[in-house]
Amino acid sequence: MPVDWGADMGKDECKTMLDALNKVTACYRHLVSALGSTSDSQNLREELKKTRKKAQELAVANRTKLTALLKDKSISNDDRAEYERLWVLFTSSMEILEVDMKRSLEIGQSFPLKVPTRHFIQTGMTGSTTTVAARAMSVQNMKYEADASIDTADLKDLETEIAQVDQMMEEMEMKVQVAPWAVEAKQEAGAELKSTVSVGNSSVGVISVCEEEPKEGGEGEAGLMKVFAGIIFTAVLLIAGILGYLVINL
Amino acid sequence: MERVIVSMQDPDMGMKMRNQRLLITVIPHAMTGRDIVDWLIQKYTITEEEALHIGNFLVKYGYIYPLKEPRNLCLKQDETPYRFQTPYYWTSTRWPASELDYAIYLAKKNIRKQGELIEYEKECYNALHKRINHTWDFVVMQAREQLRASKQRRKADRIVLECQEQAYWLINRPPVSRYSDVMLYMWCLPLKNKLCMFVWVCSFVKYCEQYQDHDPIMQGCLPSNPWITDDIMYWNMNSETVTMPTKLRVERWSFSFMELLNDPLGRKELLTYLEKEFSAENLCFWQACEEVRHGEASKIAAKVDEVYKQFLAPGASRWVNIDSKTMEKTLEGIKHPHRFVLDDAQMHIYFLMKKDSYPRYLKSELYKNLLAKAIVPQETKKSVFPFMRRQRHSSPSPALVTQTAEDNGKAKPSAAKANAGTASQI
Repeated sequence: MPVDWGADMGKDECKTMLDALNKVTACYRHLVSALGSTSDSQNLREELKKTRKKAQELAVANRTKLTALLKDKSISNDDRAEYERLWVLFTSSMEILEVDMKRSLEIGQSFPLKVPTRHFIQTGMTGSTTTVAARAMSVQNMKYEADASIDTADLKDLETEIAQVDQMMEEMEMKVQVAPWAVEAKQEAGAELKSTVSVGNSSVGVISVCEEEPKEGGEGEAGLMKVFAGIIFTAVLLIAGILGYLVINL
Repeated sequence: MERVIVSMQDPDMGMKMRNQRLLITVIPHAMTGRDIVDWLIQKYTITEEEALHIGNFLVKYGYIYPLKEPRNLCLKQDETPYRFQTPYYWTSTRWPASELDYAIYLAKKNIRKQGELIEYEKECYNALHKRINHTWDFVVMQAREQLRASKQRRKADRIVLECQEQAYWLINRPPVSRYSDVMLYMWCLPLKNKLCMFVWVCSFVKYCEQYQDHDPIMQGCLPSNPWITDDIMYWNMNSETVTMPTKLRVERWSFSFMELLNDPLGRKELLTYLEKEFSAENLCFWQACEEVRHGEASKIAAKVDEVYKQFLAPGASRWVNIDSKTMEKTLEGIKHPHRFVLDDAQMHIYFLMKKDSYPRYLKSELYKNLLAKAIVPQETKKSVFPFMRRQRHSSPSPALVTQTAEDNGKAKPSAAKANAGTASQI
């Protein structure tokens, strides 16, 4: 039936957009935690700015879509429950994003880039955050085109954007009447151990035990190295054994 | 504290940094405890003790975290390595650690450790799962995404990230202290403080454990909390003159002698028991002393006189057994009676009862029977339909009541007058 198909499309679209917003929120948080430390740099500030703008675009798109879906009175109760669950996901994402934006403003103001007497905190992190930002922006490589005064100029933009986000969240609360505590989560405790398929694709039915992803990538690397070392060691032993045997016999 | 940390970063005058070696990876920006203390002494020209004190604060508030034993949050003045915490994780009242963030952290740890969380972390995880169940989908999604984001960094940075986050949560959600953990934290204190702390902490923990079941906020109130449901059955059941007390009330009498004496019903029960043991005069004497202490000033002399005649005079009807020294002192004091003249004697009798009669009472048949018969009230079922619940009415204000009485009073004569008026008109 055309109506149901349209509703399903709407749901899937929503879930994909929410997944994207979730990804960008996580990356943004990662970038903000590097502010003020030795990984801080002009590039980081630019990455923050771009990630933030992307997050806002996604947020606005999500909000429009979800409000339209929730305002529709003709949807079934199941659909409504599902949309409310997506709404709670959306608001939680926005909460985290808002806090991170405010914190990045605070830390950005305390640690300006070009002041010679201010030093970054030596936290032990020395690598760059390019790859994280590339993941957030869904590109292969990041291009940096900002000028030197990005930190001060960006902060003003950041203030206005925070105000916008605040306003948007207030409007959302007024317009959409969803009781967050009434929503039941689909995942049970410990669900993160089971499948690594994103929630958007109704993971209730999919329980695939993924061995590689949950383990830390570093451990995987070290494991591989250990395997190689073991192979080489046994090969050397074998060769030594054979040579010894030959020497004794000849 | 933040200024101290920032000034430590100065490349010329700041802290001397070393490298931390972990198997294959080398992570820079580590420092030893001794270096920190030396730097503080030099920079601020303070004594070693003060520097150690400041250093301890820096660790306890999360600006510096230890690398070897992360749970031991104190500054040790030796080769133990420490590292600076990134500004995002600095303790701040503006950005308190939220439950959502903690849930995401625990979910991440769960994935990394393949479900092998420590005991208290498992408890927190389950508690959070119940509390913020509505956003649990978000927690799982965000945990996975944050792990994927951190995989983009190189290995050394990833290790640092994990250590940083762990240090942050150890400070903001410390594990529940049992005796052994308390010992660990107190290791840094000087000896005399340690002893006092230890004694105090032990007694406090014991008190909390004992009273936890009796706290209406922690355990809930049976049958129901009157302030919430407007049902005063709880107060009725626990009033002074009830025939059968509640089980919790009777249990509380066994916690300390003071609990038993403070409860009027308990006092009555104790009196009954003591009458059987022929030592009821102790309790009566104690009660009479209390009346002297807390009663009207004008009646003190009369009361003291009565107490003397009844309890203290040689050959009195209810003579109490006090040692000779206290008796002498009290008899001297009675000549000039004041509120606290019977204090020594009362204290003596109190301790006598506490050491002797009280333990025997707790073991007696009387107490055990009462405990067995005591009622455990049923929790009132909360009705499912909101409109079936009793509506809360605020009681009418006394001002209104008197007003209506006045109005009634006024209305009658005016009605009479009106009637008379109409009658006269007709």
